[in-house]
Amino acid sequence: MSTPARRRLMRDFKRLQEDPPAGVSGAPTDNNIMLWNAVIFGPHDTPFEDGTFKLTIEFTEEYPNKPPTVRFVSKMFHPNVYADGSICLDILQNRWSPTYDVSAILTSIQSLLHDPNPNSPANNEAAQLYRENRREYEKKVAAIVQESWNDDDDEED
Amino acid sequence: MAAEGDKFVYDPERNYDDATLAQIRVMENEIASQNNIVSERLSMQNLKDEYADADDVFKLKIKDLESRYHYMRRTRGDGNCFYRAFGFACLEMFLADSKNLPRFKDVAQKSRDELVSLGFPQFTIEDFHESFMDVIEKIEKQCSVTELSDIFNNQGLSDYIVVYLRLLVSGYLQKEAEFFVNFIEGERTVKEFCNQEVEPMGKESDHIHIIALTSTLGIPVRVEYMDRVDSSKCTQHNFPEDSQPSIVLLYRPGHYDILYSR
Repeated sequence: MSTPARRRLMRDFKRLQEDPPAGVSGAPTDNNIMLWNAVIFGPHDTPFEDGTFKLTIEFTEEYPNKPPTVRFVSKMFHPNVYADGSICLDILQNRWSPTYDVSAILTSIQSLLHDPNPNSPANNEAAQLYRENRREYEKKVAAIVQESWNDDDDEED
Repeated sequence: MAAEGDKFVYDPERNYDDATLAQIRVMENEIASQNNIVSERLSMQNLKDEYADADDVFKLKIKDLESRYHYMRRTRGDGNCFYRAFGFACLEMFLADSKNLPRFKDVAQKSRDELVSLGFPQFTIEDFHESFMDVIEKIEKQCSVTELSDIFNNQGLSDYIVVYLRLLVSGYLQKEAEFFVNFIEGERTVKEFCNQEVEPMGKESDHIHIIALTSTLGIPVRVEYMDRVDSSKCTQHNFPEDSQPSIVLLYRPGHYDILYSR
């Protein structure tokens, strides 16, 4: 029997295809609707511009009542992203609402790239540079933007 | 003795959120494995047994409850108990007496567009609304109490009902924000309060939530308060005050169960 979580994920996927938000994409992996791959394109007018950042989204049967686990697979340099790629974002933790769908999750992460929150740092170096040395911050980000393209090459090879 | 290396050292670059969430999950599973989400009807003796070693304050109050109520139904203590108890008691009432069911269904039907007009995302609202209406249609077709109990004990379906009731509370509070803002603690807007204390699963309910849910659905409820207040009887409170509720909930600090009148 299809569970509410699976039924809802099918709907999330359908909506993402029919009404795709700008700059993000996502789809379930081949054999598992509970595990998705997603891509967030670095937003314009940010140091992340032109980056193609890959993520995984792992759902449980409790979705959408509990948030999924979202991680960057591509290397990231951002005040609110931990070294292992996991993300410090309130809506993915204690501020989760069952009214969010995959589309809302991805666009929230996209806007986090736009507006980092250096007050709750997950990466101290990134938070400090963001506050105190924006030029160096942008240089480090530019490096991971370049790396994000290399990821793509690997896959095409 | 723990080795020196076992001492907890905070690593600011490490993500502790996952560990915290994992621990919460373990506790949730423990609670889940011990209790049904909504129990069978139990005699009041069941409550008496729980307080066998309690002091007179509680014993007198249980005696008071016993004189007025025949049965109870326990709900799981997962922070959603008010919604679960209210939802179950309300739908079970309609199985016994469907006189007001058409009005209730109408209110529920229209609630979707109201929520969407308040700015809730249409796509996800529809999902919860559909599930909620499915259950109401089962009640309309006079399903059995066992079927209703099965729905409420299926985690996925049961949680969907709770989510929709939470959304209704959030919608009502936001619609009447001008009034409710006076009752919200801390420097928060009604919308912030709803985002933090109403919409997330597992957030416990207070008076303000009860007022909102009973008002928006037009289903009054009586709450019997069984607490340490020095009295031989439980304190009763009807929501709204001048109503004659047919649903009764038992409140013990932090938890709601269902009561059945004699």
